Amino acid sequence: MSLALYRTMQVIRQTEEELARCHQRGLIHGACHTYVGQEAIATGVCAHLTKADSVFSTHRGHGHALAKGMPPRELMAELFGRSTGCSQGRGGSMHIFSPEIGMMGTSGIVAPCILQACGGGYTSMLLKTGAVGVAFFGDGAVNNGAFHEGLNMASIWKLPVLFVCENNQYATEVPSSYASGNPSVASRGAAYGIPGIEVDGNDVLEIHRLAGEAIARARAGDGPTLLECKTYRTRAHAEGMGDFTYRTREEVEQWKHRCPIVRLRTTITAIPLAGMDAAAVTTHLDAIDKEVATLVQEGRAFAEASPVPEPSTATQHVYAPPKPITTAAKSASTRTITFSQATLEALSEEMAVNPGIFVMGEGIGKRGGNFVTTKGLYDLYGPERLCDTPICERGFVGLACGAAMTGTRPVIDFMFVDFVLDGFAEIVNQIAKMQYMSSGRLKMPVLLRGCIGIGHSAATHHSGSYYGMFGQVPGLRVVVPSSAEDAKGLLKHALRCDDPVLFLEHREILQTKGPVPDGDYEIEFGKARIVREGRHVTVVALARMVHQTLSVCEELERDGISVELVDPRTVSPLDTATILQSVHKTGRLLIVDEPPGQYGFSAEIAARVVDEGFNDLDAPIRRVTGAFCPTPYSPSLETVVVPQPADIAQAIRDLMRE
Amino acid sequence: MEEGTFVGWLKLPGADVTVGEPLFELEGEKATQEIESLDAGELYIPPDAPKPGSTIPVGALLGYLLAPGEPLPSGDAPKWVAPTQDIVESAPEIHLAVESAAPTGTTPVASPRAKHVANELGVDWTELSGTGRDGRIREADVRAAMPTVVPAISGDRVLLTPRRKAIAERLRTSVHRTIPVTLTTGANAAGIVGLRDQFKATKAALVPAFTDIVACLVAKVLARHPQLAVRWDPQQSTLIAVPEEQYHIGIAVDTPDGLLVPIVRNVARTALLQIAKDSKSLIERARHGKLSIAEMQAGVLTISNLGSYGIDGFTPIINYPEIAVLGLGAVRREAVVSDDDRIVPGLRMTLSLTFDHAAIDGAPAAAFLQDIAAAIENAAAILLGA
Repeated sequence: MSLALYRTMQVIRQTEEELARCHQRGLIHGACHTYVGQEAIATGVCAHLTKADSVFSTHRGHGHALAKGMPPRELMAELFGRSTGCSQGRGGSMHIFSPEIGMMGTSGIVAPCILQACGGGYTSMLLKTGAVGVAFFGDGAVNNGAFHEGLNMASIWKLPVLFVCENNQYATEVPSSYASGNPSVASRGAAYGIPGIEVDGNDVLEIHRLAGEAIARARAGDGPTLLECKTYRTRAHAEGMGDFTYRTREEVEQWKHRCPIVRLRTTITAIPLAGMDAAAVTTHLDAIDKEVATLVQEGRAFAEASPVPEPSTATQHVYAPPKPITTAAKSASTRTITFSQATLEALSEEMAVNPGIFVMGEGIGKRGGNFVTTKGLYDLYGPERLCDTPICERGFVGLACGAAMTGTRPVIDFMFVDFVLDGFAEIVNQIAKMQYMSSGRLKMPVLLRGCIGIGHSAATHHSGSYYGMFGQVPGLRVVVPSSAEDAKGLLKHALRCDDPVLFLEHREILQTKGPVPDGDYEIEFGKARIVREGRHVTVVALARMVHQTLSVCEELERDGISVELVDPRTVSPLDTATILQSVHKTGRLLIVDEPPGQYGFSAEIAARVVDEGFNDLDAPIRRVTGAFCPTPYSPSLETVVVPQPADIAQAIRDLMRE
Repeated sequence: MEEGTFVGWLKLPGADVTVGEPLFELEGEKATQEIESLDAGELYIPPDAPKPGSTIPVGALLGYLLAPGEPLPSGDAPKWVAPTQDIVESAPEIHLAVESAAPTGTTPVASPRAKHVANELGVDWTELSGTGRDGRIREADVRAAMPTVVPAISGDRVLLTPRRKAIAERLRTSVHRTIPVTLTTGANAAGIVGLRDQFKATKAALVPAFTDIVACLVAKVLARHPQLAVRWDPQQSTLIAVPEEQYHIGIAVDTPDGLLVPIVRNVARTALLQIAKDSKSLIERARHGKLSIAEMQAGVLTISNLGSYGIDGFTPIINYPEIAVLGLGAVRREAVVSDDDRIVPGLRMTLSLTFDHAAIDGAPAAAFLQDIAAAIENAAAILLGA
């Protein structure tokens, strides 16, 4: 075992030193954060892991990937920006992915790995695989909210997770002694009710022993452990950066003398192994050094000889390949039910056939959801699949990311979209980008659902929409249905597709009733619905604004104005073709949208129609949107910041006079 | 010259005018002349510009050529004011202002859709008054201006595919830019039919198509008629001679998406069987929509064969900037009067040559067609190098 640990540390050290040389020669185009000095930690922990266990790492993650079993050549090729790299040239030093061996990625953002490891643990608990999730992070992560939220969730659900803090004493250049009110990371375990253990981070044998105990505890269902490994990086934060503005040469030299590799070598040669005297052991270790040197040189040659990725593939893997819709045609027979009942049916039916689906949110367990989104499901599927959460949106959204990466299909029921903004970075930086960063090897089937919309004097923290903002993010699907039938079909599709979906339900239409086809059906994303055919003016609207517009169409028809109403149903992807076809017919376009117009959904549609349908326009494009203002409380104020039927009718009449 | 009579525009409002194109007609003391544009741009004719038939002084403002994206002229835009004597003397003979300025409230404005429809229907929208806000001209105003003999369009509109639009644009360009004249003559097709029979009798893997053989013959004849081997330059101010090694011949192909003309390369210097192979491959790719743009460019002459539809003579349209197109009719078994005055069975076909009279006169074109007919009658000998 000692020899294997020695070899792994050597692989890391020699690969890193070769990468540092390559960086100086200009072979590495971006950042290069080396792991030199910290090799004992990844080596000691990963020796206990199999491919089924998942590792979530940080920006200093080369060592974790190598210790988890990635060949040096794949790592080097990635840093060289080659198509043979582990992320096929889409990642670089800070986005190293090899899900095939359980290396779930490194990240340029500090601390999300803590939440994602909880997700890996949740998958293990739900599917009973016995696997563990391991998060490696630095001392810089422990004063971040993700650390607090992650450790707490792991504790209350007893998740099989190991939190490994590599305390190298500097968060980039800021000393942890300055940044932490309580400088002992290990002691913080007690705050969450989990074991916290401090260990010499340069002593691989001790790390190996303690990690072994923690992982055994996790596999046995006894919950998570926080391991603080005190160590030091002996190279700069990143290659090429100045190192002595915040620490001294003497300090670095001192730590170089505490090299974990030399230390293990001394230990092994002092205590002769079975059948070998000290000289024989030295010879054996020298042979390992040589063999590793050859491996690293071969890796570099391989990386240098590898082709760069084809430029035309730059936008591949933003989304998973679309799955063909397998359900039969929609049944002609229908029932009249509410929007809420329709989505509940969709969720319940999919949970019945897919044991990987679980729901997380506040009050969605026994209570059945603030908006009865999960009513009755707790009794059917139990507490692990209907999981009530603490109020920590960033935490459980980040957990969902890690769960999806490891093979389950989380549904985050965030109640109000205003709340999930606390997890915005986890959605935008992690969930949306994961498929791309991993060149399509990870899937990201996360459903994020909840309410949008103004009404009921809910005031400004319970009335946002934000779909325009989410629509700007490559990698996300954004769904905004307006009817019960659409809601069920689109939710079914969301629960079957491999992309992350924001499913936004307007609170004021949850109780509207409509015909819903019997049996199973699915509605593809990116297909608009012509709600009403007309000849003179095209109105594009979503969600509640579809209903507001419909309410004035008859009155306008009596005055000889025939309105065609188009509901895109999904903001991303957006069905531009149907809108253009309609404008080709009518020559006039009005976009009705509840949120403020500035930089929004309505602006996007107007831009596309001017680009592609200019010659069809017989009048300027007009918009009726919400006021550019937070939502007020008092009904007299609330009414005027939202497009009302009279505003829409007036805008249509004005447009006819243009 | 101090003044002249403005005869009329040669371009529609909104047309894209290129440098050197005839823009309007002016009647002076000596003659009526077409005035060429010195600049390029989109033609904008202000509503108060001189009307056809009016007498205008030198230096009068007739219209604007707008650069792409340039706003409509404005401010104190085109006022037709007779210039003072001083200006007349210093002004050039014809002044066509090209300037950019901001829009005015009095200049008529049309919606993009109205302009587009006006262009399609050939309506001069600058003559209309609009019913939209501030007098904006809308689609309905343009349609209302159409003569009533045009039946109201009912039923669904057929959406044009981009391919159909491109074809329409190309053919319109040809009709606008050439002066097509079609000559027809008969030819004895027995030689070619016999030649193809010989290929068939030898169980050849590939029997050259009728059009392939004619293409080879045309290339040989073209070498003796260099005045036909020319193309217009982009400004249509000069003709460019095409050397023999660039005798690329177009073959009109009917595809499910519309007419395409792939070009067979270097026909004069290529063996018949290779031509047959090349054209077969081009035609197949044309039918599957796989032709590249380059494979449809730089021909010297085009051949269009409607024989398989039982058509005899027709008026093919020139594939501009080429200057001629050869139409092949059906080969028919007919009674022919032989040299010794007997009625004998013969194989006859009609050849239709459309040429651009702007580029070449009728006599040389007729001589060319006569030589093609002769080459078809003696196909084998010509192909063997006679």
